[in-house]
Amino acid sequence: MNMDDNKLTLEKITSDLTHHIRINKGFLIWMGFLTVSLLVCLYAYSIQLKTGLGVAGIRDYVTWGMYLANFVFFVAASLIGMLISAVLGLIGMKWLTPITRIAETIAVAFAAVAGLVIVSDMGRPERLAYVFLYGRPQSPILWDVTVITTYFVLSLLLLFLPLIADMAIIHRKADSLPSWLKPVYKVLSLNFTDNPAQNKIINRAIRILLILLIPAALSIHTVTSWLFAVTSRAGWDSTVFGPYFVSGAFVAGSAAVIIAMFFFRKNYKLQDYLTDLHFNNMGKVLATVSLVYLYFNFNEFLVPGYKLKRADAIHLQELFAGKDAILFWVVQIGGLILPILFMLFRRFRKPLPIMFISIAVLIAAWFKRYIIVVPTQEHPFLPIQHVPQNFIHYSPTLIETLISVAPFILVLIIITLISKFFPVIPLHETARERGIEHIKFD
Amino acid sequence: MEDNHTSHSPDESEDQKNSTRRNFLKNLGLAGVGVATGAAALYSGHIFEAKKEVSGDQKVLLTQDGKLVQVDSLEIKAMEKTGVALHEMEGREGIPGRRWVMVTDLSKCRNARKCISACQDAHQLRPEQYHMNTLQMQDTPGTAPYNMPKNCQHCDNPPCVAVCPVDATYKRQDGIVLIDNVRCIGCRFCMAACPYSARIFNWIEPKDAATHLDQEYNVELNVPQKVGTISKCLFSADRLREGKLPYCVEACPNGVYYFGDENEDAVTNGTTKETVRLSKLLRDNAGYQLMPELGTKPRVYFLPPKNRLFPFEAATETTPEKV
Amino acid sequence: MRFKNLLIIIIILTGGVTLSAQTWVVPDDQKAVVAPFKFTPDMQKQGEQIYLKNCQSCHGLMGKDNWAKLTPPPGDLAKEKAQKQTDGELFYRITAGKIPMPEFRNILPEDERWWIVAYIRTFNPNYVQPNPAALASFTGRIVTLAMQYSDPMKKIVVTASEQLKDGKTGLAAGVEVMLFVKRFFGKMQVGDIKTTNAQGLAVFEFPADLPGNKEGYVEVTTMVNDPKSQMKTTPATASFAIGAPTDKPSLTATRAWWSTRGNAPVWIILTYTLSVLIVWGFIFYILFSILKIRKLSNG
Repeated sequence: MNMDDNKLTLEKITSDLTHHIRINKGFLIWMGFLTVSLLVCLYAYSIQLKTGLGVAGIRDYVTWGMYLANFVFFVAASLIGMLISAVLGLIGMKWLTPITRIAETIAVAFAAVAGLVIVSDMGRPERLAYVFLYGRPQSPILWDVTVITTYFVLSLLLLFLPLIADMAIIHRKADSLPSWLKPVYKVLSLNFTDNPAQNKIINRAIRILLILLIPAALSIHTVTSWLFAVTSRAGWDSTVFGPYFVSGAFVAGSAAVIIAMFFFRKNYKLQDYLTDLHFNNMGKVLATVSLVYLYFNFNEFLVPGYKLKRADAIHLQELFAGKDAILFWVVQIGGLILPILFMLFRRFRKPLPIMFISIAVLIAAWFKRYIIVVPTQEHPFLPIQHVPQNFIHYSPTLIETLISVAPFILVLIIITLISKFFPVIPLHETARERGIEHIKFD
Repeated sequence: MEDNHTSHSPDESEDQKNSTRRNFLKNLGLAGVGVATGAAALYSGHIFEAKKEVSGDQKVLLTQDGKLVQVDSLEIKAMEKTGVALHEMEGREGIPGRRWVMVTDLSKCRNARKCISACQDAHQLRPEQYHMNTLQMQDTPGTAPYNMPKNCQHCDNPPCVAVCPVDATYKRQDGIVLIDNVRCIGCRFCMAACPYSARIFNWIEPKDAATHLDQEYNVELNVPQKVGTISKCLFSADRLREGKLPYCVEACPNGVYYFGDENEDAVTNGTTKETVRLSKLLRDNAGYQLMPELGTKPRVYFLPPKNRLFPFEAATETTPEKV
Repeated sequence: MRFKNLLIIIIILTGGVTLSAQTWVVPDDQKAVVAPFKFTPDMQKQGEQIYLKNCQSCHGLMGKDNWAKLTPPPGDLAKEKAQKQTDGELFYRITAGKIPMPEFRNILPEDERWWIVAYIRTFNPNYVQPNPAALASFTGRIVTLAMQYSDPMKKIVVTASEQLKDGKTGLAAGVEVMLFVKRFFGKMQVGDIKTTNAQGLAVFEFPADLPGNKEGYVEVTTMVNDPKSQMKTTPATASFAIGAPTDKPSLTATRAWWSTRGNAPVWIILTYTLSVLIVWGFIFYILFSILKIRKLSNG
């Protein structure tokens, strides 16, 4: 291979993948919008801090509402990092290379925010440290907090390690870079010069991370499902809740990745790197995990529906034909069955249609968590009597909704910042895959 | 904080001693605060529990900064007025040799709701907050309706305690399941886990919170209530310590409640004060427990609503105002 | 009787609706009963303690009008309504009870019931105690009980003796006696009421399965069944090792899911600690090796 060609191609790739790293008007407006929205939501949270959880619609019977649905959703979406990077990556699916960083970014953002979401559901948020100081290993909460922290750190490392080589390239080769950023990248590049010893360390570290990521990720969502499954309530008392939650998590995460892919491709002009093939394949991944999730859904409702034990019967009646029926069927059909049917056809796995399908799936995924969390609590074993009306049926308040929106804004901010200041597509790896074997670091 | 744990020299004045002890006990309640990592916290927690074992008349205690000190058990008795920390210790240990048990005779309940008001008065609860609530039950459409006073069942296999992440709710040796609202983080996992809907939450500032600001927290009474923490029936642990029957049991005008010690095989009716044999009472009246199939092993028994002394009247729905 | 008139007026005014709740008429012979002893400050003090333990939960603190909201209202005993009654009336109500007021006949001994009356009277500055019923003028039976455990019979033998007219002591036949065992919240009756035979003896079988303390000791009391208070009686109390020795373990003795952290099942503690140590061990190893990257640089 000609030396000049090599240089040219690397520079082209570098320029393609880093030209968006600059502060432009669009970015400022977008961040400004996010920041203002976040401040509004934080104001709502300050009211909750002052008054107590009573500002939300949750009461003694439906004691877990939107906040907890939110928490489960964020934990779920973060799981995709593990599916894309670890499972598919270890199998060795080459087409995944441009998607891995997107998946890891989503994992880091959602895992970080999931940890914060749970604080919004605490009656005494200032006692958060008690979970570590007095934590009981018999409680799923200690495990949950532990594995989320662990998973976040693992994901962060997995995001950072491949970035080292990229940083080394960028701070040398990217001419369009704002000058104040170059020293930052230089520090982050850890003086990487692509020598075998360095590569060996990085490769080994990545391999360890990929292996650790699988049990850690499976744990976070299995343990989160135990928040429900260890109780004896109808609708929660289930032995398949672990895999049910994990498969549902892959659905939500895949959809989130597809949406992110679409917008990065459009906004950062990455059409040459995120091709129709990638959307097609991700469409297949989403269809596959959705089918698995559909299987668990079937199981989850058919088995208690067959026996119709008293509490289960009331619960299923409410879901299928009662108060929650509309939401339930919209979520199940619109967010699971129809998307699967559409995704069977290649034409719906093109970028635009698959993005719309993913948005539908992601919204449904949130409401699915709501359906798992809330209706069960409206039908405890003993009747709800002599309490105010708002104890009987849960309806979220405005403040509660604002506080629940905050984590979404936070996730968007984190994803925006990471994608804005780092290459969305792994630079070093892409260069190698395109045949550039030796990169000169002078 | 620095040297409260050092042993007292004999010429120290009594006052100094007392204040030292007070701080010492306060520190005890906070033991482990300095420990940061999970594993280390686990270890210190183990010691925190272990300190409760009495050996002879010397007690080995762990101070806040991790030193083990020996304290004469007589000295500990002398610290009776050291407030929260002492309540905390006693409240966590329970009364040795006892296994409290309650029997609710459904045939006598006419939904007078006196138990509820006595309980709410004692525990500073608002009208919609129930440690004890009388429910109008009908098991199946064909069976007769009846009133059922329902409180915490103080299970021997308590699902609520199992899920608590921070030991804020715990079971004592005498069977009572209590709440430490100084520890509670307000996650409400216990509420989700309780199949009897026995737990309530202080969603907003508790009733008359401003007037109870100076009140010392009593874990056996769970007052003052604290916003953002759980509350529930305590079997009136504070009254039992004084040898008195629980608030609800004494307030009932209809003789619904029996309360006593399973180890003595005796329960005392709160209205007639008659003491009867627990095993005979349950045998003669076909006593049963609520949802025993869940394996929770409740400490509350019910006598079925047969031969009712009063006709069942559909309760006029007493709905407290929206909160 | 003004109290009676008042009651009649109330009954008429309320149309008799509250009839069952309000008419609690004390028999005339009971009204006239007077205490067998002169009330002393010591008795009043004892009475206060008994009042706080047994009465205060319904009647509230004396003179504070903070009685429990019950139907019928218990009322404040420091007030005129109670103080107008004779000692005999107060004593009768304490003794006999009427739902929801407990019957203290078998809960408190006679003396202690009188001490409560003594305490209640301290809130009436105009009260003058009628002359105590002198024993001399008392015409009923004066019975004293004694009790022992007969090992060969495995039974409790109660002996009733009485003071005869000539001042001598004889065995009391035909006296109804009861046996109680002390429990945490009160005395529990054991077996039925027995009548003493010609030798003044009554024999009680003690249920062997009734729990005692660790050594099987139980505190038993025997009392005369005298619902109309026609006798002067002295009960007897003793401890015998005749119960089932009971030493149940603490309910928190075993390690369980619901135990405190320190008492968690060992395998859970181990699993948690090991998982955390292993995973975080690797994480720190990776962090450490990242630091090495810089050192290995060519440049």
